[in-house]
Amino acid sequence: MPNRATPEARNRLLSRVQGLRTALEGLVDRPMRVMEVCGTHTVSIFRAGLRSLFPEQFRLISGPGCPVCVTDQAEIDAAVNLAGKPGLTVATYGDMLRVPGSGSSLAMEKARGADVRVVTSAAQALDLARKEPDREVVFLGVGFETTAPATAAVLTEARRIAISNFSILSLHKTVPEVLELLASDPELKLDGFLLPGHVAVITGTGPFAFLPEKHHLACAVGGFEPDEIMMGLVELALQIRRGKPAVKSLYGRAVREEGNAKARGLLDKVFVHAEARWRGLGNIPGSGLSISEEYRSWDALHKLGIELGPSAPPSGCRCGEVLAGKILPPQCPLFGTSCTTLSPVGPCMVSSEGSCSAYYKYHRGGRLL
Amino acid sequence: MSSLTLGHGSGGRLTQDLIGRITSPFPRPETPELEDCAILPEGIGVTIDGFTVDPRVFPGGDIGKLAICGSANDLAVRGVKPLYICLSVIAEEGLEEEELATYMKSASKVCGELGVRLVSGDTKVVPKGCVDGLFLTTCAVGMPRPENVLGMNNLKPGDKVLVTRSIGNHGATIAACRFELKAEGLKTDCASLWPLLEPLLSLEGLRCMRDSTRGGMGTVLCEWAEGTKLGIEIDEAAIPVQEGVRSVSDLLGFDPLYLACEGTAVIAVAPGQAERALEMLRAHPLGVEAEIIGTITEEHPELVGMKTFAGGMRIVDMPVGEILPRIC
Repeated sequence: MPNRATPEARNRLLSRVQGLRTALEGLVDRPMRVMEVCGTHTVSIFRAGLRSLFPEQFRLISGPGCPVCVTDQAEIDAAVNLAGKPGLTVATYGDMLRVPGSGSSLAMEKARGADVRVVTSAAQALDLARKEPDREVVFLGVGFETTAPATAAVLTEARRIAISNFSILSLHKTVPEVLELLASDPELKLDGFLLPGHVAVITGTGPFAFLPEKHHLACAVGGFEPDEIMMGLVELALQIRRGKPAVKSLYGRAVREEGNAKARGLLDKVFVHAEARWRGLGNIPGSGLSISEEYRSWDALHKLGIELGPSAPPSGCRCGEVLAGKILPPQCPLFGTSCTTLSPVGPCMVSSEGSCSAYYKYHRGGRLL
Repeated sequence: MSSLTLGHGSGGRLTQDLIGRITSPFPRPETPELEDCAILPEGIGVTIDGFTVDPRVFPGGDIGKLAICGSANDLAVRGVKPLYICLSVIAEEGLEEEELATYMKSASKVCGELGVRLVSGDTKVVPKGCVDGLFLTTCAVGMPRPENVLGMNNLKPGDKVLVTRSIGNHGATIAACRFELKAEGLKTDCASLWPLLEPLLSLEGLRCMRDSTRGGMGTVLCEWAEGTKLGIEIDEAAIPVQEGVRSVSDLLGFDPLYLACEGTAVIAVAPGQAERALEMLRAHPLGVEAEIIGTITEEHPELVGMKTFAGGMRIVDMPVGEILPRIC
């Protein structure tokens, strides 16, 4: 986190961004379409107002980067159905609370008396189970490669202490598989991806090498500060203009080709890759992290006999197309009318990392520009 | 109507809408005032506020101090000198009397410093589980200066917006306690604002002041923009935020703009007097971090725009729903 406390530090940031903006303007000599696939990027870009700095021919589309948003309707319903069961506590990241399921949400169930607790880590959920041995605590494991290792670590700890009142509903998903789907989509016509820095820290750049090799797509692994994001975009424009795509990491020494071996080892130990349901994108082979046989006693699906029902998204909601990069949030007929951050219809408007919410909160169809 | 959720108590949009609905049975006053306190035709300023915070003791304060400062500040920002306090205590069976006594001591200390007298009260103890520990409600009464009625209706394009200190300390402090984060030197801004704000009342160009509590400074500015149909433009680089507040916000995904403050006022003043107002604020220990952060404008009516650190522009929207429950 760069220091913004002093006027000098702020001026340095401002002049770096201005320099990168000039560089981007110089490089973008034709229409370029790139996609960011990380909710933290989506929000940072809006919060820093970077969209107001892009050249006209440069289009940045938000992809399926918000873990809450890509969670399928059937998965949300399964979580909501757990809430309110006698003796059961649902422990969840705060973002999941307001996501509407088919009939209710975790927030609504909580208001009706269900024991739903917000935690900031999987470890906190395990602590809850330790402190309250009379309650069955179910942790909703949501997130990509970034959060999955923490869930994995907690699973190994749960096994070590042989705790019997704790389980995890693993809704974890992995990024490379969904990028394969998007890269092969002829409708999207992408030129490149801004890849998430923190995912690449875990996975390494290796799993993304197929993007330039097989699909001829530019790839930059970017950090999350405004200047780091701009640097990523400049790198993408450079690769596109030169016609020489590669996976280039601008996220410093944290990203290695092989990633974080320890975290990857943990994932392999606890999870197996399985087909997963993605909102709006359907079933993607190998893109889900299911809890392995060895850890089955702490797998909520198995322990509580959870069956996923049909995936029926709210009527009229086009979150699926937003996530797939097919439409921009303001193109959804519900955007800003019946779907706002106050009364969200779809998850992309609910989640703080959702692209509809970011467009609505920070951009509102460009009314400031 | 559906069940209430914690989001309805957040101070943001959901709270505003709920208040609109539940006060609908009452006849509308001729000029509804969505300000921090009411100024009655009889020349009395009055306000009421309930306090419930988890934890009840936090770095820089406790619920007793909060209960007096909170109500007294609601008067102070409308130029009303706080004089009297009424206090209601609702305690849960099992609360240690000694703990309650410490809160009363800190409440009394603030009253003493402000010259405010406790004149009436009510005490109830309810069965275990009916409240969580302790709820305090304070009603503050004071005398406004009739020549200087402050409110957002005075805002004019060109007015400057000031903030009296760095923002978000209370919210970040409570969040840090709640999520067991260590943040060196981070403490609540909880303080009574009257001594800081009183000198400003001599400024002819003083338009409006608000105590930015739940929902933070961002919410106050959105309320001003929406309530006056004017636009507001602020400069992110000018907004004072302490490093501890920034790190807690980054860790938990909060925006300091929306974090609660308990001793921070947002002030609008005529452009010609902004520098003078800034000097006056900085002359007081509570105002050393004061800054001019923005301007009222005719552009983009009802919207607050922010020039960002990175030189871009974006909207500052009123927050929706729960940022943190039981914060003040």
